Amino acid sequence: MKQILLWKPILKILSRELLITILLLLGVSIIIFSILHMAPGDPLHIFINIQTQNPDEIAAIKKELGLDRWLPLQYLSWLNNILHGNFGNSFRTGRPVFNELIGVSLYTLILTIGSMIVTLLISVPIAIFSSLRRHPVLSWGLTLLAYIFSALPVFWLGYIVIYIFTHKFNLFPFLSAGYAGTAKFNLLYFLLPIIVLGVGNGAISEIIRHLNAQLERVLSEDYIKAAKAKGASIWRHSFKEGMLIPVTTMVVAKIPFILGGAVIVEQVFNWPGMGRLAWQAALDRDYPIIMGITIFAAFFVHIGRFLQTIVYLFVNPQITAKGEEA
Amino acid sequence: MRTRYIQKGAEVSEFSQIPLWRRGNRRDLIQIGIGLFVVLFVLSSYLVAVLHLLPSDPLQINLKEMMQRPDYKHILGTDFMGRDILSRIIVGSQAYFMPGLLAIAIAISFGTLAGLASGYNGGTIDAIISYILDLIDSIPKMVIILLAIALFRPGIYLIMLIVGLTNIPAVASLIKSKVIFLKKRNFIEAAKALGLRTRQIILKHILWHNCKTVVIIQATLGMGEAILIETSLSYLGFGVQEPAPSWGNMVAAGKDYFFRGDFYLSTAPAMAILISILGFYLLGDGLNNILEWRRKK
Repeated sequence: MKQILLWKPILKILSRELLITILLLLGVSIIIFSILHMAPGDPLHIFINIQTQNPDEIAAIKKELGLDRWLPLQYLSWLNNILHGNFGNSFRTGRPVFNELIGVSLYTLILTIGSMIVTLLISVPIAIFSSLRRHPVLSWGLTLLAYIFSALPVFWLGYIVIYIFTHKFNLFPFLSAGYAGTAKFNLLYFLLPIIVLGVGNGAISEIIRHLNAQLERVLSEDYIKAAKAKGASIWRHSFKEGMLIPVTTMVVAKIPFILGGAVIVEQVFNWPGMGRLAWQAALDRDYPIIMGITIFAAFFVHIGRFLQTIVYLFVNPQITAKGEEA
Repeated sequence: MRTRYIQKGAEVSEFSQIPLWRRGNRRDLIQIGIGLFVVLFVLSSYLVAVLHLLPSDPLQINLKEMMQRPDYKHILGTDFMGRDILSRIIVGSQAYFMPGLLAIAIAISFGTLAGLASGYNGGTIDAIISYILDLIDSIPKMVIILLAIALFRPGIYLIMLIVGLTNIPAVASLIKSKVIFLKKRNFIEAAKALGLRTRQIILKHILWHNCKTVVIIQATLGMGEAILIETSLSYLGFGVQEPAPSWGNMVAAGKDYFFRGDFYLSTAPAMAILISILGFYLLGDGLNNILEWRRKK
């Protein structure tokens, strides 16, 4: 049977999704902008410190940074710059925000995506195994073990791993992923944080729960019974609805969560990612960097959502066409 | 599996006549038991602190007895300032409990409200509410929290207020999908036809009879998350501050002694975190299996 793709409704849905995404990114930037300017203490105090008390000089610096204008105007000029691909310059280092963010977000992306893969490698087999209901006690034990893993505090797990690898086995002096490319670099610098975050991010239990429920629901559907009766492969029939959709749903839903967990792992493993930069920038009141980071993070989240919509559409164009999500 | 309705030979026609503890299997009961144990531990910690029954004062510094291994006087040993670790763990459980309840209360009340409003009405209201919820959902939680901490220096209650706000979308979407599902069912149609007031339909027939399990399960999961966030922040040094004990800052304080081989300074509180998060997860899971058992057939 040949599948016919209706391109027109698909494109319509995708463009609607794109529009909503743009609206949301706008909203996020407005919220963050107002929070930043509502907060007590302004960047000038931290920036100038006590180097000058001369009001003329302070006014000049203020003007140079563009902080003397009416707030909505400041926002609009920021927006205008963004639309021209210019994220502004960091108050602190004076370098373009975009360049700083690209490097840093690459590291965070590696960490996030890598740990998501680790999480899936652990949770998907357990969910499949327990949904088959062959060994209820064994699958309960496995699920319990996975729950224990996901309840482990990430920061403590990180230290245990560092201790074991550097002190017990003396495998290498502990550096971080920031040393990539140097002679001392070791693949483990990359792998350890990824594995630690993948095991300890707390998403494993939720993914198992969701996937298990969906698989059990699908496996008890009539069309699976029919497939069984005629001797067809159950997997081929249950894969789309029982695996692909729940896994994409969970992965996309957990992206913000794992980005958050990454903040802590970055701290423990000295990983030069977005979390650390965000923290430093917030302390310095480095407005352009903070705005850039939140926009980047929201952008990642929405890329995930967009991919999810595409997967939904291609698995079953009816789902979104009718406006009903699974 | 109709046999489930037959209880010791006697036929029971109504599902609600089966007592709760007979609905699930033994594994569900074990899970709930572990969960209730953790809840009891936290609740009794308040009682113990009020009645001065703690093994010793959690804030009492005693440099003569620092970094002791566990013995009968200090069951979990002492930390780097000679403070009793067991007492600090007992009191430390209070660091997340009340703030966590606040986060849960906010997430559930506003989430239910938003979910009901957008699910029952649909249309423009639904579009506006979904936009606002999506807005909250598109910024990673930890980024918002860190921003708020760096900019406003809030206390743990304010932080948990933010956590509660960021949890609203999750609860709202669950309630919303439930309401949309229920709206099409016959009994709601019948209630409408009988002339029941909208308020009554929503409060009794949708919320009370069909959404309370969702709420209970979300509450237990929310507490697990509150522990995770409180301990993480206290570990990073932004949550509960020393000398007040929190499991997070206890792990942080103990980590410096890790490489000297003194494990349990940070391992004891880490295990406390592990057991409590696990307890709340298992409680939610077990309750889910028992309360939603009807749907599993």
